[in-house]
Amino acid sequence: MSTDLHSLMAPYALDALDQDERSRFEAHLDQCADCRAEMAGFMATAVRLGDTVRHAPPPALRERLLAEIGDIPQERPIVTALAERRGLRRTLPRLAMAAAFLVGAVGVGGYLVEHQNAEEANDRSVAMSTVLGADDVTTASKSFDAGGSVKLYSAPSADAAVIIAKRLPSPGKGKVYQVWMVDTEAKPTSQGTFVSDGEMIMKGVAEADHIAVTVEPEGGSDQPTAAPIAIIAV
Amino acid sequence: MSASAAQLKLAAAPEHDAEPSLNDLLVKVGRGDETAFAAIYDHLGSSVFGLARRVIRDPARAEEVAQEVFIQVWQSAARFDPAKGNAKSWLLTLAHRRAVDAVRHDQAATNRENKYDWSSGPDFDEVEETVTITLEHEQVKRCLDGLTELQREAVNLAYYQGYTYAEVATALNANTATIKTRMRDGIVRLRDCMGVVA
Repeated sequence: MSTDLHSLMAPYALDALDQDERSRFEAHLDQCADCRAEMAGFMATAVRLGDTVRHAPPPALRERLLAEIGDIPQERPIVTALAERRGLRRTLPRLAMAAAFLVGAVGVGGYLVEHQNAEEANDRSVAMSTVLGADDVTTASKSFDAGGSVKLYSAPSADAAVIIAKRLPSPGKGKVYQVWMVDTEAKPTSQGTFVSDGEMIMKGVAEADHIAVTVEPEGGSDQPTAAPIAIIAV
Repeated sequence: MSASAAQLKLAAAPEHDAEPSLNDLLVKVGRGDETAFAAIYDHLGSSVFGLARRVIRDPARAEEVAQEVFIQVWQSAARFDPAKGNAKSWLLTLAHRRAVDAVRHDQAATNRENKYDWSSGPDFDEVEETVTITLEHEQVKRCLDGLTELQREAVNLAYYQGYTYAEVATALNANTATIKTRMRDGIVRLRDCMGVVA
Protein backbone atom coordinates (compact mmCIF):
# COMPACT_ATOMS: atom_id res chain seq x y z
CA MET A 1 0.00 0.00 0.00
CA SER A 2 1.17 3.51 -0.44
CA THR A 3 2.68 5.22 2.59
CA ASP A 4 0.34 8.11 2.14
CA LEU A 5 -2.84 6.03 2.31
CA HIS A 6 -1.53 3.92 5.16
CA SER A 7 -1.18 7.03 7.27
CA LEU A 8 -4.95 7.54 6.99
CA MET A 9 -5.86 4.33 8.85
CA ALA A 10 -6.19 5.91 12.30
CA PRO A 11 -7.88 9.12 11.08
CA TYR A 12 -10.38 6.95 9.21
CA ALA A 13 -11.19 4.88 12.29
CA LEU A 14 -11.75 8.08 14.28
CA ASP A 15 -13.92 9.56 11.49
CA ALA A 16 -11.31 12.30 11.07
CA LEU A 17 -11.21 12.32 7.26
CA ASP A 18 -13.17 14.73 5.12
CA GLN A 19 -15.65 13.23 2.66
CA ASP A 20 -13.27 13.17 -0.25
CA GLU A 21 -10.42 11.48 1.58
CA ARG A 22 -12.89 9.10 3.20
CA SER A 23 -14.10 7.91 -0.21
CA ARG A 24 -10.60 7.55 -1.59
CA PHE A 25 -9.46 5.70 1.48
CA GLU A 26 -12.44 3.33 1.34
CA ALA A 27 -11.60 2.55 -2.27
CA HIS A 28 -8.12 1.69 -1.11
CA LEU A 29 -9.44 -0.47 1.75
CA ASP A 30 -11.50 -2.47 -0.69
CA GLN A 31 -8.31 -3.62 -2.33
CA CYS A 32 -6.09 -4.05 0.72
CA ALA A 33 -6.74 -7.11 2.89
CA ASP A 34 -3.89 -6.25 5.28
CA CYS A 35 -5.40 -2.82 5.84
CA ARG A 36 -8.80 -4.32 6.58
CA ALA A 37 -7.32 -6.68 9.12
CA GLU A 38 -5.64 -3.87 11.02
CA MET A 39 -8.62 -1.57 10.59
CA ALA A 40 -10.88 -4.07 12.35
CA GLY A 41 -8.96 -3.50 15.59
CA PHE A 42 -8.93 0.27 15.10
CA MET A 43 -12.66 0.37 14.48
CA ALA A 44 -13.38 -1.81 17.49
CA THR A 45 -11.32 0.56 19.60
CA ALA A 46 -13.27 3.55 18.29
CA VAL A 47 -16.56 1.86 19.20
CA ARG A 48 -15.33 1.48 22.78
CA LEU A 49 -14.62 5.20 22.90
CA GLY A 50 -18.19 5.81 21.80
CA ASP A 51 -19.83 3.57 24.34
CA THR A 52 -19.07 5.27 27.62
CA VAL A 53 -22.08 7.46 28.31
CA ARG A 54 -25.72 6.68 27.74
CA HIS A 55 -28.28 9.38 27.67
CA ALA A 56 -32.00 8.67 27.57
CA PRO A 57 -33.49 10.36 24.51
CA PRO A 58 -36.67 12.42 24.81
CA PRO A 59 -39.75 10.13 24.76
CA ALA A 60 -41.12 11.99 21.76
CA LEU A 61 -38.31 10.63 19.59
CA ARG A 62 -39.50 7.07 20.07
CA GLU A 63 -43.06 7.99 19.16
CA ARG A 64 -41.93 9.89 16.07
CA LEU A 65 -39.77 7.06 14.82
CA LEU A 66 -42.38 4.38 15.34
CA ALA A 67 -44.93 6.53 13.54
CA GLU A 68 -42.59 7.18 10.64
CA ILE A 69 -40.91 3.91 9.78
CA GLY A 70 -44.06 2.30 8.46
CA ASP A 71 -43.86 4.66 5.50
CA ILE A 72 -40.13 4.36 4.90
CA PRO A 73 -39.01 1.78 2.35
CA GLN A 74 -36.23 -0.61 3.33
CA GLU A 75 -33.34 -2.04 1.42
CA ARG A 76 -34.37 -5.60 0.73
CA PRO A 77 -32.98 -8.79 -0.65
CA ILE A 78 -33.27 -9.12 -4.40
CA VAL A 79 -36.62 -10.92 -4.32
CA THR A 80 -38.41 -7.60 -4.41
CA ALA A 81 -36.84 -6.93 -7.80
CA LEU A 82 -38.61 -9.92 -9.29
CA ALA A 83 -41.50 -7.88 -10.55
CA GLU A 84 -39.07 -5.64 -12.29
CA ARG A 85 -37.33 -8.61 -13.86
CA ARG A 86 -40.58 -9.97 -15.16
CA GLY A 87 -41.16 -6.79 -17.11
CA LEU A 88 -37.80 -7.16 -18.78
CA ARG A 89 -37.99 -10.84 -19.55
CA ARG A 90 -39.38 -10.48 -23.03
CA THR A 91 -36.45 -8.30 -24.00
CA LEU A 92 -33.72 -10.83 -23.38
CA PRO A 93 -34.10 -13.75 -25.79
CA ARG A 94 -33.47 -11.73 -28.90
CA LEU A 95 -30.42 -10.13 -27.41
CA ALA A 96 -27.10 -11.70 -28.13
CA MET A 97 -23.57 -10.78 -27.77
CA ALA A 98 -20.37 -9.52 -29.36
CA ALA A 99 -16.87 -10.50 -28.37
CA ALA A 100 -15.68 -8.49 -25.46
CA PHE A 101 -12.59 -8.22 -23.43
CA LEU A 102 -13.09 -9.54 -19.93
CA VAL A 103 -11.34 -7.40 -17.43
CA GLY A 104 -12.97 -8.50 -14.22
CA ALA A 105 -14.92 -6.93 -11.48
CA VAL A 106 -14.13 -5.40 -8.16
CA GLY A 107 -16.76 -5.60 -5.48
CA VAL A 108 -16.85 -4.33 -1.99
CA GLY A 109 -18.97 -7.02 -0.40
CA GLY A 110 -17.96 -9.44 -3.12
CA TYR A 111 -14.63 -9.76 -4.76
CA LEU A 112 -12.69 -10.31 -7.91
CA VAL A 113 -14.06 -12.98 -10.14
CA GLU A 114 -10.82 -12.96 -12.08
CA HIS A 115 -7.53 -12.77 -10.32
CA GLN A 116 -5.60 -9.74 -11.40
CA ASN A 117 -1.98 -8.93 -10.89
CA ALA A 118 -0.96 -5.41 -10.02
CA GLU A 119 -0.11 -4.53 -13.59
CA GLU A 120 -3.52 -5.52 -14.86
CA ALA A 121 -5.15 -3.60 -12.04
CA ASN A 122 -3.16 -0.55 -12.96
CA ASP A 123 -4.02 -0.87 -16.65
CA ARG A 124 -7.64 -1.18 -15.67
CA SER A 125 -7.51 1.88 -13.48
CA VAL A 126 -5.90 3.91 -16.26
CA ALA A 127 -8.49 2.67 -18.74
CA MET A 128 -11.32 3.58 -16.37
CA SER A 129 -9.98 7.07 -15.96
CA THR A 130 -9.78 7.38 -19.74
CA VAL A 131 -13.44 6.46 -20.11
CA LEU A 132 -14.65 8.61 -17.23
CA GLY A 133 -12.62 11.56 -18.47
CA ALA A 134 -13.45 11.22 -22.18
CA ASP A 135 -14.98 14.22 -23.94
CA ASP A 136 -17.74 12.12 -25.47
CA VAL A 137 -18.69 10.15 -22.35
CA THR A 138 -22.42 9.56 -21.94
CA THR A 139 -24.25 8.29 -18.90
CA ALA A 140 -27.20 6.00 -18.41
CA SER A 141 -28.37 4.71 -15.10
CA LYS A 142 -30.94 2.53 -13.47
CA SER A 143 -32.12 2.76 -9.88
CA PHE A 144 -34.01 0.06 -8.04
CA ASP A 145 -36.96 0.49 -5.76
CA ALA A 146 -35.28 -1.80 -3.28
CA GLY A 147 -32.27 0.53 -3.17
CA GLY A 148 -29.06 0.78 -5.13
CA SER A 149 -28.29 1.75 -8.68
CA VAL A 150 -26.30 0.74 -11.73
CA LYS A 151 -24.67 3.47 -13.78
CA LEU A 152 -23.05 3.08 -17.19
CA TYR A 153 -20.51 5.49 -18.64
CA SER A 154 -19.84 4.92 -22.35
CA ALA A 155 -17.06 6.58 -24.31
CA PRO A 156 -17.23 5.76 -28.05
CA SER A 157 -13.85 7.41 -28.59
CA ALA A 158 -12.30 4.83 -26.27
CA ASP A 159 -14.52 2.01 -27.53
CA ALA A 160 -15.08 1.26 -23.88
CA ALA A 161 -17.56 1.70 -21.07
CA VAL A 162 -17.43 1.64 -17.28
CA ILE A 163 -20.23 0.22 -15.21
CA ILE A 164 -20.53 1.16 -11.56
CA ALA A 165 -22.95 -0.58 -9.23
CA LYS A 166 -23.71 1.01 -5.90
CA ARG A 167 -25.40 -0.43 -2.86
CA LEU A 168 -27.44 -3.06 -4.61
CA PRO A 169 -29.35 -5.28 -2.20
CA SER A 170 -27.75 -8.64 -1.54
CA PRO A 171 -28.35 -10.97 -4.50
CA GLY A 172 -29.00 -13.75 -1.97
CA LYS A 173 -26.86 -16.43 -0.40
CA GLY A 174 -24.57 -18.10 -2.92
CA LYS A 175 -25.60 -15.66 -5.65
CA VAL A 176 -23.81 -12.86 -7.46
CA TYR A 177 -24.69 -10.18 -9.94
CA GLN A 178 -23.21 -10.84 -13.36
CA VAL A 179 -22.73 -8.24 -16.05
CA TRP A 180 -23.15 -9.10 -19.73
CA MET A 181 -22.41 -7.27 -22.91
CA VAL A 182 -25.10 -7.99 -25.43
CA ASP A 183 -25.53 -7.35 -29.16
CA THR A 184 -27.93 -8.71 -31.72
CA GLU A 185 -25.41 -10.88 -33.56
CA ALA A 186 -23.84 -13.16 -30.98
CA LYS A 187 -24.23 -14.62 -27.51
CA PRO A 188 -23.98 -12.44 -24.40
CA THR A 189 -20.45 -12.16 -23.06
CA SER A 190 -19.78 -12.12 -19.36
CA GLN A 191 -18.02 -9.03 -18.11
CA GLY A 192 -17.61 -10.22 -14.55
CA THR A 193 -19.53 -10.53 -11.33
CA PHE A 194 -19.98 -8.52 -8.17
CA VAL A 195 -21.97 -8.41 -4.96
CA SER A 196 -23.66 -5.19 -3.89
CA ASP A 197 -21.00 -2.80 -5.14
CA GLY A 198 -18.69 -3.08 -8.10
CA GLU A 199 -17.08 -1.31 -10.94
CA MET A 200 -15.72 -2.73 -14.14
CA ILE A 201 -14.54 -1.64 -17.53
CA MET A 202 -15.75 -3.16 -20.77
CA LYS A 203 -13.97 -2.87 -24.07
CA GLY A 204 -15.35 -3.32 -27.57
CA VAL A 205 -18.61 -1.61 -26.74
CA ALA A 206 -18.96 -0.24 -30.28
CA GLU A 207 -20.43 -3.61 -31.24
CA ALA A 208 -22.68 -3.79 -28.22
CA ASP A 209 -26.31 -3.01 -28.02
CA HIS A 210 -26.97 -3.34 -24.32
CA ILE A 211 -25.37 -4.10 -21.01
CA ALA A 212 -27.45 -6.50 -18.95
CA VAL A 213 -27.19 -7.51 -15.30
CA THR A 214 -28.49 -10.86 -14.07
CA VAL A 215 -28.45 -12.75 -10.78
CA GLU A 216 -26.38 -15.92 -11.12
CA PRO A 217 -24.93 -18.62 -8.86
CA GLU A 218 -21.65 -17.74 -7.18
CA GLY A 219 -18.77 -17.90 -9.63
CA GLY A 220 -20.96 -16.73 -12.47
CA SER A 221 -22.55 -18.56 -15.38
CA ASP A 222 -21.39 -19.13 -18.97
CA GLN A 223 -24.62 -17.67 -20.26
CA PRO A 224 -27.41 -15.84 -18.46
CA THR A 225 -29.68 -18.27 -16.59
CA ALA A 226 -32.21 -15.65 -15.51
CA ALA A 227 -33.89 -12.64 -16.99
CA PRO A 228 -31.94 -9.46 -16.37
CA ILE A 229 -32.72 -7.19 -13.46
CA ALA A 230 -31.33 -4.31 -15.48
CA ILE A 231 -30.77 -3.56 -19.15
CA ILE A 232 -28.94 -0.41 -20.08
CA ALA A 233 -28.55 0.67 -23.68
CA VAL A 234 -24.98 1.44 -24.69
CA MET B 1 -22.22 5.50 4.52
CA SER B 2 -20.77 3.44 1.75
CA ALA B 3 -21.17 -0.27 1.68
CA SER B 4 -17.49 -0.80 2.23
CA ALA B 5 -17.54 1.15 5.43
CA ALA B 6 -20.59 -0.70 6.62
CA GLN B 7 -19.00 -4.05 5.91
CA LEU B 8 -15.76 -3.01 7.47
CA LYS B 9 -17.42 -1.88 10.61
CA LEU B 10 -19.28 -5.11 10.92
CA ALA B 11 -15.99 -6.92 10.76
CA ALA B 12 -14.62 -4.56 13.35
CA ALA B 13 -17.20 -5.23 16.00
CA PRO B 14 -15.68 -6.24 19.31
CA GLU B 15 -16.68 -9.49 20.92
CA HIS B 16 -16.84 -8.27 24.47
CA ASP B 17 -20.33 -6.83 24.23
CA ALA B 18 -21.81 -9.37 21.88
CA GLU B 19 -25.53 -9.45 22.47
CA PRO B 20 -27.03 -12.27 20.44
CA SER B 21 -30.57 -11.18 21.16
CA LEU B 22 -29.89 -7.72 19.77
CA ASN B 23 -28.33 -9.29 16.71
CA ASP B 24 -31.46 -11.37 16.20
CA LEU B 25 -33.62 -8.31 16.63
CA LEU B 26 -31.63 -6.32 14.08
CA VAL B 27 -31.93 -9.13 11.57
CA LYS B 28 -35.69 -9.01 12.09
CA VAL B 29 -35.67 -5.26 11.57
CA GLY B 30 -34.05 -5.95 8.20
CA ARG B 31 -37.15 -7.97 7.32
CA GLY B 32 -39.50 -5.15 8.23
CA ASP B 33 -40.35 -6.15 11.79
CA GLU B 34 -41.48 -2.95 13.51
CA THR B 35 -41.73 -4.56 16.93
CA ALA B 36 -38.10 -5.62 16.66
CA PHE B 37 -37.24 -2.07 15.65
CA ALA B 38 -38.91 -0.74 18.79
CA ALA B 39 -36.96 -3.25 20.88
CA ILE B 40 -33.68 -2.21 19.26
CA TYR B 41 -34.54 1.39 19.98
CA ASP B 42 -35.33 0.62 23.60
CA HIS B 43 -32.01 -1.17 24.06
CA LEU B 44 -29.73 1.16 22.13
CA GLY B 45 -31.51 4.51 21.96
CA SER B 46 -29.67 5.88 24.99
CA SER B 47 -26.28 4.72 23.65
CA VAL B 48 -26.92 6.37 20.28
CA PHE B 49 -28.31 9.56 21.80
CA GLY B 50 -25.52 9.63 24.39
CA LEU B 51 -22.86 9.44 21.70
CA ALA B 52 -24.62 12.04 19.55
CA ARG B 53 -24.75 14.43 22.50
CA ARG B 54 -21.13 13.90 23.32
CA VAL B 55 -20.11 14.85 19.81
CA ILE B 56 -22.74 17.46 18.99
CA ARG B 57 -23.43 19.01 22.42
CA ASP B 58 -26.65 20.72 21.33
CA PRO B 59 -29.42 18.42 22.63
CA ALA B 60 -31.95 19.33 19.94
CA ARG B 61 -29.47 18.74 17.14
CA ALA B 62 -28.36 15.49 18.77
CA GLU B 63 -31.96 14.36 18.83
CA GLU B 64 -32.28 15.05 15.10
CA VAL B 65 -29.16 13.05 14.42
CA ALA B 66 -30.33 10.17 16.61
CA GLN B 67 -33.53 10.16 14.59
CA GLU B 68 -31.56 10.03 11.33
CA VAL B 69 -29.47 7.19 12.69
CA PHE B 70 -32.50 5.09 13.57
CA ILE B 71 -34.14 5.77 10.23
CA GLN B 72 -30.94 4.63 8.57
CA VAL B 73 -31.03 1.54 10.78
CA TRP B 74 -34.54 0.81 9.57
CA GLN B 75 -33.57 1.30 5.93
CA SER B 76 -30.28 -0.57 5.99
CA ALA B 77 -30.74 -3.32 8.59
CA ALA B 78 -30.86 -5.92 5.79
CA ARG B 79 -27.17 -5.23 5.31
CA PHE B 80 -26.35 -6.22 8.87
CA ASP B 81 -24.66 -9.60 9.02
CA PRO B 82 -24.59 -11.05 12.53
CA ALA B 83 -21.79 -13.40 11.47
CA LYS B 84 -19.52 -10.41 11.08
CA GLY B 85 -20.29 -8.26 14.04
CA ASN B 86 -22.72 -7.21 16.70
CA ALA B 87 -25.69 -4.92 16.53
CA LYS B 88 -24.51 -2.40 19.05
CA SER B 89 -21.19 -1.78 17.30
CA TRP B 90 -22.99 -1.47 13.99
CA LEU B 91 -25.32 1.19 15.39
CA LEU B 92 -22.65 3.10 17.26
CA THR B 93 -20.44 3.25 14.18
CA LEU B 94 -23.34 4.61 12.14
CA ALA B 95 -24.16 7.06 14.91
CA HIS B 96 -20.63 8.39 15.21
CA ARG B 97 -20.27 8.94 11.50
CA ARG B 98 -23.61 10.76 11.39
CA ALA B 99 -22.79 12.89 14.40
CA VAL B 100 -19.44 13.94 13.00
CA ASP B 101 -20.98 14.78 9.65
CA ALA B 102 -23.62 16.89 11.40
CA VAL B 103 -21.04 18.79 13.42
CA ARG B 104 -19.08 19.56 10.29
CA HIS B 105 -22.16 20.58 8.40
CA ASP B 106 -23.17 22.97 11.16
CA GLN B 107 -19.66 24.29 11.39
CA ALA B 108 -20.29 26.38 8.30
CA ALA B 109 -22.66 28.55 10.32
CA THR B 110 -20.68 28.86 13.51
CA ASN B 111 -17.20 29.52 14.63
CA ARG B 112 -16.22 26.34 16.35
CA GLU B 113 -12.91 27.71 17.53
CA ASN B 114 -14.67 29.78 20.14
CA LYS B 115 -17.08 27.14 21.32
CA TYR B 116 -14.73 24.64 22.87
CA ASP B 117 -13.40 24.41 26.31
CA TRP B 118 -9.95 23.01 25.68
CA SER B 119 -9.41 21.91 29.24
CA SER B 120 -12.43 19.70 29.53
CA GLY B 121 -12.00 16.92 27.00
CA PRO B 122 -14.87 14.48 27.06
CA ASP B 123 -17.59 15.07 29.57
CA PHE B 124 -16.84 12.21 31.86
CA ASP B 125 -18.24 13.99 34.85
CA GLU B 126 -21.55 14.95 33.36
CA VAL B 127 -24.32 14.11 35.80
CA GLU B 128 -27.99 14.08 35.04
CA GLU B 129 -30.58 11.63 36.08
CA THR B 130 -30.97 10.47 32.49
CA VAL B 131 -27.26 9.80 32.05
CA THR B 132 -25.74 6.42 32.69
CA ILE B 133 -22.02 5.90 32.86
CA THR B 134 -21.27 2.53 31.34
CA LEU B 135 -19.06 -0.19 32.74
CA GLU B 136 -16.53 0.55 30.00
CA HIS B 137 -16.28 4.16 31.05
CA GLU B 138 -13.62 3.72 33.71
CA GLN B 139 -11.44 1.62 31.48
CA VAL B 140 -11.71 4.07 28.58
CA LYS B 141 -10.86 6.96 30.87
CA ARG B 142 -7.86 5.10 32.30
CA CYS B 143 -6.62 4.20 28.84
CA LEU B 144 -7.04 7.78 27.56
CA ASP B 145 -5.09 8.96 30.59
CA GLY B 146 -2.30 6.63 29.55
CA LEU B 147 -1.73 8.48 26.26
CA THR B 148 0.71 11.30 25.75
CA GLU B 149 -0.90 14.71 25.81
CA LEU B 150 -0.66 15.17 22.06
CA GLN B 151 -2.04 11.70 21.38
CA ARG B 152 -4.93 12.31 23.74
CA GLU B 153 -5.73 15.74 22.34
CA ALA B 154 -5.64 14.40 18.81
CA VAL B 155 -7.99 11.51 19.64
CA ASN B 156 -10.32 13.72 21.68
CA LEU B 157 -10.65 16.45 19.08
CA ALA B 158 -11.22 13.95 16.30
CA TYR B 159 -13.47 11.42 17.95
CA TYR B 160 -15.39 13.49 20.47
CA GLN B 161 -15.52 16.80 18.62
CA GLY B 162 -15.60 15.80 14.99
CA TYR B 163 -12.41 17.52 13.84
CA THR B 164 -10.70 16.28 10.70
CA TYR B 165 -7.03 15.47 11.22
CA ALA B 166 -6.19 18.63 9.25
CA GLU B 167 -8.30 20.70 11.66
CA VAL B 168 -6.66 18.96 14.59
CA ALA B 169 -3.28 19.92 13.16
CA THR B 170 -4.32 23.55 12.91
CA ALA B 171 -5.83 23.57 16.38
CA LEU B 172 -2.76 22.01 17.96
CA ASN B 173 -0.33 23.95 15.85
CA ALA B 174 1.32 20.83 14.50
CA ASN B 175 1.79 19.56 10.96
CA THR B 176 -0.61 17.02 9.54
CA ALA B 177 1.97 14.24 9.28
CA THR B 178 2.66 14.56 13.00
CA ILE B 179 -1.04 14.46 13.84
CA LYS B 180 -1.68 11.39 11.71
CA THR B 181 1.20 9.66 13.46
CA ARG B 182 -0.05 10.68 16.90
CA MET B 183 -3.53 9.42 16.07
CA ARG B 184 -2.10 6.13 14.99
CA ASP B 185 0.13 5.78 18.05
CA GLY B 186 -2.80 6.80 20.22
CA ILE B 187 -5.28 4.34 18.78
CA VAL B 188 -2.75 1.50 18.89
CA ARG B 189 -2.08 2.25 22.55
CA LEU B 190 -5.79 2.46 23.31
CA ARG B 191 -6.46 -0.79 21.49
CA ASP B 192 -3.79 -2.59 23.49
CA CYS B 193 -4.82 -0.96 26.75
CA MET B 194 -8.46 -1.98 26.25
CA GLY B 195 -7.46 -5.46 25.18
CA VAL B 196 -9.35 -5.17 21.90
CA VAL B 197 -8.91 -8.31 19.87
CA ALA B 198 -9.97 -7.93 16.26
